[in-house]
Amino acid sequence: MARISLKNILGKKNDTAAIFLSLIAALPGNTWIEDDKGQPVLGSSSETCHEIMEIKHEEELLGFVKGDVSAVPIAALLNQLLEKEAEKKKLGAEILNLYQEINMIFNFSDKLAQSIDAFAIAEVTLSQARHIIQSNAGVVLLLDEDTGGLQVAAVSGEPLLNEKNIHRIFSVMQSLLVNGQSEIITNTVLLKEAGIISATVQSVICAALKVKQNVTGAVILFTNESVSYTAGHLKILTTLALQSSAAIESALLYEKNIKAANDREEAIRCIYEVTSKFVPYEFIDALGHKIITDVKLGDQVEKVVTVLFSDMRGYTTLSEGMSPAENFKFVCSFNERMGPIIRKYNGFINQYLGDAIMAIFPGKAEDALSAAVAMQKDVREFNKLRLANNQLPIRIGVGMHTGPLIMGITGDQSRMDATTIADTVNTASRLESLTNYYKGDIIISQATFSQLPSGTFHTRPLASVQLKGKNEPVLIHECFSGFSEEEVEKKSITLYSFNQGITSYVSSSFHEAATAFQQVLQTNPADQTADFFLQKINDFLDKGAPLNWSGVEEMHTK
Amino acid sequence: MQQKLLIVDDEPHIRMLIEQTLEELEDDGVDFFTAENGEEALKIIQAENPRLVFLDVMMPKMNGMEVCRRVKKELLLDNVFIVLLTAKGQELDRLKGQEVGADLYMTKPFDPEVILAKAKEVLGL
Repeated sequence: MARISLKNILGKKNDTAAIFLSLIAALPGNTWIEDDKGQPVLGSSSETCHEIMEIKHEEELLGFVKGDVSAVPIAALLNQLLEKEAEKKKLGAEILNLYQEINMIFNFSDKLAQSIDAFAIAEVTLSQARHIIQSNAGVVLLLDEDTGGLQVAAVSGEPLLNEKNIHRIFSVMQSLLVNGQSEIITNTVLLKEAGIISATVQSVICAALKVKQNVTGAVILFTNESVSYTAGHLKILTTLALQSSAAIESALLYEKNIKAANDREEAIRCIYEVTSKFVPYEFIDALGHKIITDVKLGDQVEKVVTVLFSDMRGYTTLSEGMSPAENFKFVCSFNERMGPIIRKYNGFINQYLGDAIMAIFPGKAEDALSAAVAMQKDVREFNKLRLANNQLPIRIGVGMHTGPLIMGITGDQSRMDATTIADTVNTASRLESLTNYYKGDIIISQATFSQLPSGTFHTRPLASVQLKGKNEPVLIHECFSGFSEEEVEKKSITLYSFNQGITSYVSSSFHEAATAFQQVLQTNPADQTADFFLQKINDFLDKGAPLNWSGVEEMHTK
Repeated sequence: MQQKLLIVDDEPHIRMLIEQTLEELEDDGVDFFTAENGEEALKIIQAENPRLVFLDVMMPKMNGMEVCRRVKKELLLDNVFIVLLTAKGQELDRLKGQEVGADLYMTKPFDPEVILAKAKEVLGL
């Protein structure tokens, strides 16, 4: 409130003081001015004092004009000037008030622009409102679009609100509000009866948050003071609410968009994750794409790779004792063990074919062989578990071949598949089936063998085979690194004799060959491959070798 | 010592506004002076030697920059703290304000609380 004092008029800086002094001098007799405490302000006091005029402003005593009769007009003049000064001050206060409002709205817009979170905006709105409008507590409520319920977006000040009963506030206020939305409520009885506000609250001021014509929430302030809120307060609060609701609305919209975008992204990620399990990333990568959606019908690439084929030995017999569901579970548990091994050695699974696995190793041939050795070792561990559960042990045969391969997308516009087309695949598959014939567990082609670093794997040559439907014979080797340590040891010791046996066998020296394999079996009776060759040689010795025997074995099956 | 404060602006409502903003300083015994142009301001500064001056830049007769330059560079009144005020959107080069020796540079519309706090700080209240 604008305060006024004699100093405002008669202060040293003010020319008015000089005018009064000359006025006093010009008038007959002596007149002087004192403040409310009787201290002289202007003029010099004297003994004789006929008139004492009080100087007052709005019932407040500011001072006296004392002296003779001229004190009367001087007092009147002073009162008049004080009146004008008070008016000026009042005007100034009003300007300041308006200015502060402008400044507040200016700052508020600035702050709103910095926030994209609805609750943060509610927080800013409430603190700004309480900064300008005196209150003991305040709250910003938002209507939840989905549930239709009210939620407290921001709350501050004394605990005058019962948040448990806040949902009733709108219905109670609706009956109180004359124009339905923004109001000063001095009759707080209903709100108190509904258990929403504390008994100490004297006055409530409320401004609705609105988007278009819909109420989306409210800013509400509470005071314990008996001084009621004014229309000016309501104007400010409404202005704040108006700005705030627009900002909150866009924040909520933004949030919604972000959430929708995240959901979409998550869905895409899920689809991507699943498809990458059906078509390996390496396949897509090899085709020069980043994601599966870029793949087109007819995309293809040719690469030299090592193809690994693994198949379960005696699976048919094994599966006879199982129900289809058990069977499926068994194959799954087996594949779950093998998959990671293949990936560990930089390969990827091109196809699971029931109990068989076809994997591709785009890098080094030794990766593929390392994987095969690890697979055989893992099968031994798997068998320990099976034996402990009274289940039959399993065996797998692995064949591999290195050569060119075309990876591509085949099919038609509505049904596409990632396919590999290559003779390399057929050869690898045939070599795998030879593991049964030669009783080895890993058989590799010469093409793979020639790429291996020497001394890393335990291998021995087996034969030259003429695969079905092939013109050129393929030289094949057995890798026995996957056997138990004991077995590896024995096969290593007998390696020389075994090699001699093979050389003699190929060159039709069947007697020498038989002797060599007998030597092998003497040291290692469990060497089934040596046993296979010995039986075959004995057969040759009994019935004679094939007429055109050149050491090349012709395979007529698969 | 009696503290003195001068408000210089050609627009009466701005003078009134600043006076009103700083009203409480009167209770602390600060004397307020006002001037509505540069020439008048310079006279008061020389006569009263105020501790703090709020000085509008865009004024008829003598502008705020010139007043500031005379006070700081010619009269060498270092103990007069000068706050230059310009309207937003009419900001002068801050460097120019420094050149003429202004102590602070503020833009209108100003935050009344900031003005009051600054005045109290300068006057040591």
